[in-house]
Amino acid sequence: MNIRRHPVAAPLSFLILLFMWVPLIVVGVNSFNTQTIMAGWGGFTTHWYSLAWHNQDVRTGLKTTLIIAVASSVLSLFVAVTGALWWRRASPKARAVYDGLIFARIILPEVVFATALFFLFLKIHFSLGLTAIVIGHTVWNSAYAAIIVQARMASLDPALEEAAADLGATPWRAFRRVTLSALMPAIIAAGLLAFTFSFDDVVTSVFLQGASNSPLPVVILGMIRFRITPEINAIGLLVMLFTVTIMSMAVIFYATAGSLGRAGRRGSMLDMYR
Amino acid sequence: MTTPAVDLAGVEKRFGDLVAVRHLDLEIEPGEFFSIIGPSGCGKTTTLRMVAGFEDPTAGRVSVSGRDMTGVRPYRRPVNTVFQSYALFPHLDVFENVAFGLREARVGKAEVRARVAEAISLVQLEGREQSRPRKLSGGQQQRVALARALINRPDVLLLDEPLGALDLKLRTEMQTQLKDLQRTVGVTFCYVTHDQGEAFSMSDRVAVMNLGLLEQVGTPEDVYHRPASLFVADFVGKANRFQGRIEEGSSGVYTVDIAGIGSRRVSGPGGLPSGTEVVVVVRPENLRAAPTETRNGLTATVVDASFQGAVRTVRLQAAGLGELTAAAGGAGQAPAPGSAVSLTWDDDHAWLISTGDGTP
Repeated sequence: MNIRRHPVAAPLSFLILLFMWVPLIVVGVNSFNTQTIMAGWGGFTTHWYSLAWHNQDVRTGLKTTLIIAVASSVLSLFVAVTGALWWRRASPKARAVYDGLIFARIILPEVVFATALFFLFLKIHFSLGLTAIVIGHTVWNSAYAAIIVQARMASLDPALEEAAADLGATPWRAFRRVTLSALMPAIIAAGLLAFTFSFDDVVTSVFLQGASNSPLPVVILGMIRFRITPEINAIGLLVMLFTVTIMSMAVIFYATAGSLGRAGRRGSMLDMYR
Repeated sequence: MTTPAVDLAGVEKRFGDLVAVRHLDLEIEPGEFFSIIGPSGCGKTTTLRMVAGFEDPTAGRVSVSGRDMTGVRPYRRPVNTVFQSYALFPHLDVFENVAFGLREARVGKAEVRARVAEAISLVQLEGREQSRPRKLSGGQQQRVALARALINRPDVLLLDEPLGALDLKLRTEMQTQLKDLQRTVGVTFCYVTHDQGEAFSMSDRVAVMNLGLLEQVGTPEDVYHRPASLFVADFVGKANRFQGRIEEGSSGVYTVDIAGIGSRRVSGPGGLPSGTEVVVVVRPENLRAAPTETRNGLTATVVDASFQGAVRTVRLQAAGLGELTAAAGGAGQAPAPGSAVSLTWDDDHAWLISTGDGTP
């Protein structure tokens, strides 16, 4: 029997989609609503956006988040690219161990890593704060970056660097003009993905922030704890748009990376979302 | 005497316990189309990679154009390679792939444009300059690889089974084009393949390798008609073998007592003493099968005949000699399976290979 043609299938799918999207739509609509209690439509305003823009906590939170996201993305890329370079020449056994460690970082709950790092940092007297959060984000972000970069690396002909050397390129030139350049779409995609994941992270940040400034998602969490204001909606919509933009860019770059290589598709079976 | 384009002197290559190439002495003349053939694992690709500089010989010396290449890295050698997988840079278009070597050599912009255009027209890829390699067919990719390797005007062009990934028709076309190209540019080509037909159709000389050893070097005709070993005889084509012993003779023509047939005149390498055990090789196209029985002895029964267009191959069973193969023009009537035929060959179409004493 064809499940897609079942009479319940279409209405059910519609309901599910509704449940997924209605809250987001409500957030979007209410961000322009003059009514503070959000019980109905009171008229159009951009007041909440201006309020959010001038909220010092939000500003500090955004700045903190951006610093953490950029730093952890760069670190993740460094780990992913150097790892992929090693991986290419590693023995099958070493590769299996390395791949296992990557998947472990993706599969294990984030809260486990966050708790573990929290206790580790306490034990070694490493002060919690920005640096701790960056390290925490890099732990799992580098796993996603590694998968994307490695998929591209696997699709590259190992003879490419020999071909470059054959044509007169020194090892450094061959690496830069061939390996790194050919990996670039995947590196950019991985970087954007890592950036997005770090940008909206709450769990690791809460555990590791200590007494330092909170990143934006934690700030938002703190704000709704007391009172939900339309200002939150405005911030929510902006964060949503920003995240979607970055993710779309990542997907586009990833698609480019895939179409360039022979086995580029290998990576697309892995979920892009957490 | 001119300096050889490539000179391998006592070259040996080991990978751990495995000996990939054993004491190889080989000279390739400038401007020559030279092929190294052999089954996979015979050391031919390793040899090529030692000339390119991707492998260092364990012993011996590789020289290119009279220059000792010991310790010279690949990017400093006057040779270029066409890789089996082509190894085109996927992120660069055809123009930049071809220009790669010139950019590394820091050639000026105007000259890059001119030389890339020249190379691209040489391989007939005008109009595809902006295409990425993945947009090209196998044959076109192969031509990009050729243009890219030739643009630095190497002393020697190394080709590692470049036609292996192409289909038969394209392969035949490319063989002609490669030969023409080599004549046009005048660069020494060193070509590695496991396909002896491919090597024969293009090469001035071929080297046959087996298990890391050089078995024979010579013109395609030499190797085919005057094989130096049983391995060569079998590798370069179908061979009918007859066991025998030299009765007398010298300087290349011998009287051989062939088991089950009797005394025959056979050509062979000079200087073999009487009594030497030999194998007499007769190529199928030189073995004539006539339907009527003639006087001189050798008869056989037709097992079957297979028609291949230009030729017809007939499998035969001869008493005491095992299975034999004869090939003749495809025209005319095929012999019926089970019918008796008599076999003959001309004396100068038989070639003997010494097997020493006791070897089968």
